[in-house]
Amino acid sequence: MPYQFDEILETIKMTEVEHFDIRTVTLGISLRDCFDGDLLIAKNKVYDKICKIAKNHVKNAEKVSSIYGISIANKRISITPLSIPFDSYKSDQFLELALTLDKAAKEVGVDFLAGYSALVQKGFTNGEIELIKSIPYALSSTERVCSSVNVATTKAGINIDAVNIMSKVILDTAERTKDKDSIGCAKLVVFCNVPEDNPFVAGAFHGVSEPECTLNVGISGPGVVLQAIKEAGNVDLGSLSEIIKKTAFKITRAGELIGRKVAELSNIPFGIVDLSLAPTPAEGDSIADILEAMGLESVGAPGTTAALAMLNDAVKKGGLMASSYVGGMSGAFIPVSEDAGMTRAVENGHLSIEKLEAMTCVCSVGLDMVVIPGDTPWETIAGIIADECAIGMINNKTTAVRIIPAFGKKVGDKVDWGGLLGSSPIMPVRKLSSSVFLNRGGRIPAPVNSLTN
Amino acid sequence: MKITEEIIRKITLDTIKELGENATPELVKKIVNKAVEKLTSEIPSNNFEKPNNNFDSGKIILTAFGLNHSGIVSSISSILAEYNCDIQDITQKILQDYFTMIMIIDISDAKVKFNDLRDSLMKVAEKLNIKIFIQHEDVFKFMHRI
Repeated sequence: MPYQFDEILETIKMTEVEHFDIRTVTLGISLRDCFDGDLLIAKNKVYDKICKIAKNHVKNAEKVSSIYGISIANKRISITPLSIPFDSYKSDQFLELALTLDKAAKEVGVDFLAGYSALVQKGFTNGEIELIKSIPYALSSTERVCSSVNVATTKAGINIDAVNIMSKVILDTAERTKDKDSIGCAKLVVFCNVPEDNPFVAGAFHGVSEPECTLNVGISGPGVVLQAIKEAGNVDLGSLSEIIKKTAFKITRAGELIGRKVAELSNIPFGIVDLSLAPTPAEGDSIADILEAMGLESVGAPGTTAALAMLNDAVKKGGLMASSYVGGMSGAFIPVSEDAGMTRAVENGHLSIEKLEAMTCVCSVGLDMVVIPGDTPWETIAGIIADECAIGMINNKTTAVRIIPAFGKKVGDKVDWGGLLGSSPIMPVRKLSSSVFLNRGGRIPAPVNSLTN
Repeated sequence: MKITEEIIRKITLDTIKELGENATPELVKKIVNKAVEKLTSEIPSNNFEKPNNNFDSGKIILTAFGLNHSGIVSSISSILAEYNCDIQDITQKILQDYFTMIMIIDISDAKVKFNDLRDSLMKVAEKLNIKIFIQHEDVFKFMHRI
């Protein structure tokens, strides 16, 4: 037999018992050719293009998933940051486009479409400021549209004016979606060093250097890594890293295979595999559980950052060899509400925003799905965003903030969105003021490590 | 060659000209759609490597688990024989009371599509009270071989 008995059983165990799935196959579509001075024509162009290219996206993904017996959790779409092709539009026109995007997403059967975005790390164009102003309206009047704004890069520094505006946008979005526990904010990400080929919604978009269309894959598999660590028993950290590497290799290979096949079926060039361990609220599918299996009493204990750094690095090392094109975020995600183990740690008071911030120095994303009191002042939110951006800017890495000031809720309350978004207690935020610092406005200059030439 | 918007526009204008007074939006849409479909089916759609998308041929791996009892192997293999699937390798173990079997099957000459074969096997699995998985061989090749 060309395969060992154990190898075949291992694969079956991964898919059937350990929640191994491909988290997302995301179809990136360029909308740069869809501009028209007439809004109605532009809307038609956008709608038709998305429907034409993504017509069979869900069907093809399901077909490949059934042949290989590996489920694909999400089929999604990312588009060119909308402010780029439609820079001459006003807020109300952007809002109309958002409704069209929502309709197109519904038509092709994807649960999220991301790219209601702007890249403003160095300053705003007229269109970008109009788009940003429309974000709270767009997120509260659509179901499937996701938005992201890049406010900082290592090469440009941090646009504090944009950070300040985004903090107000976040608060406004929270209020406009207060009926659903401020769910609008779960669809809005503020980035530093945003990757252009990230397949993971809500922060996905189809970057300006990308081709006409492309298919990117985000792998998952915390459950598989967790099981491998549990089975390893009491071994030293070097051996543990080896085990994580081997597991990451296998799950990335599966991701690469699935991505290539879906791309081939749809006749779309294959883009990248994103080597991220993405948790879900399902029991056992948690990054926190992995860290605890490595030997911490709870996430948040001293040593958490070191354990996470090792996990993240081992996943990358294993995944790197498994795929020809690696991109996107590529790092472990540590969302609070979307990871049952993280939520538990917050409930028990083991995890603070400050510890989360430290953890984001060594893994991808940043403060993700963190729920804070609804009465948090905008300056405090801006301070939190600026801190995350600083980590990203200085360390040449992507960081992001997806923070939810749950409208009308206080520390001790809870929000529950259900599904993949999960639930979370409200986390306390420091009451110290950063108002004067942020109200200075302007841009923090690019750091010395941006001068690499 | 790709079908660009210009080509579609040209087809549309020609159609409207041809139809003259009879042109209605629905009719034009129908005719243009048909023309475009015909063009796309004639043109090899792009220049990157043509993949092997025929999932209904090649080798698949069947795995069966469950409490051991008589008739499992025969029920599965008779379905496979019925559809002209060629069993190329088979390995089977019984651990305590549990039966585990793995088969490598060539379905290139099979008289059935992958998904239909799966449905038939699922019915057998239900009857025998065991679990059966079938997966294309590529997934094992990718995950366990460099």
